[in-house]
Amino acid sequence: MTVGEMQAEQSRPDLRDGPFTTRQLLRLDEVLRLANRGTDLNFSVYVGPLEEPVREHALRLHSQLADPADSVLIALSPNQRQLEVVTGSVARRRIPDRDARLAALSMVAAFGGGDLAGGIIAGLNQLASRAGKS
Amino acid sequence: MVGCSHASVRPATRDLFFRLGALRLSVTDTLLIFVAVPLAVVVVIAALGYVGNRGGSGDKRYRPGRHFDFAPVWFVNHPEQLVESGRAEITEGERKPAVTTGNLEVAGAVAPAGETGGASDRW
Repeated sequence: MTVGEMQAEQSRPDLRDGPFTTRQLLRLDEVLRLANRGTDLNFSVYVGPLEEPVREHALRLHSQLADPADSVLIALSPNQRQLEVVTGSVARRRIPDRDARLAALSMVAAFGGGDLAGGIIAGLNQLASRAGKS
Repeated sequence: MVGCSHASVRPATRDLFFRLGALRLSVTDTLLIFVAVPLAVVVVIAALGYVGNRGGSGDKRYRPGRHFDFAPVWFVNHPEQLVESGRAEITEGERKPAVTTGNLEVAGAVAPAGETGGASDRW
């Protein structure tokens, strides 16, 4: 049940090469775990380059998840300054697009200030609280 | 005569006092103490600062608009399942009709069943 970490190339990279510090990773792990447990949805966060068209790539990543219908993917590319939130068909009933957009807005506000981890955590919290108890 | 005796004592005491101080050092001693030692201290502190900066996370900060070099990460709930079924589901996913962005632009629209939703944004 622990939150795993992996690269798109499916090799296990050194976590220190990633965009987050150890402290941020611990916080992210905690928030993700709470969001998953509290909602019974599968929240997933991807931070890395997104191919054009960005939305299609995010959808492709989302379809790779274990249970796409129940999954919520937050995909962001810091260098392209793009954020995509993808909700599965079941998850979408609990997190309407309007709320996904609101969460995206607050995430983007944090990213614009250079705070990647803070934005992701804020967005996760917002999405999870909107989805509520399962 | 008294003045004469004074004159003979004074230079001797003056020499004694001066010789006790830094003037007793030779040129090499002076250089070592006043140049080499401070230089060594400066070099040690600079080296420590350099090493500390490299090891720390200070240069890993993301700044919008500047290139950010990092290894992509993907946090998932069940990484094992992703690895096993990843390839198969990529092809499966490509066959699915992709959701058009036009659909997503309708904010607050009632979510039709069986479709993915979400939001897009940039900063």
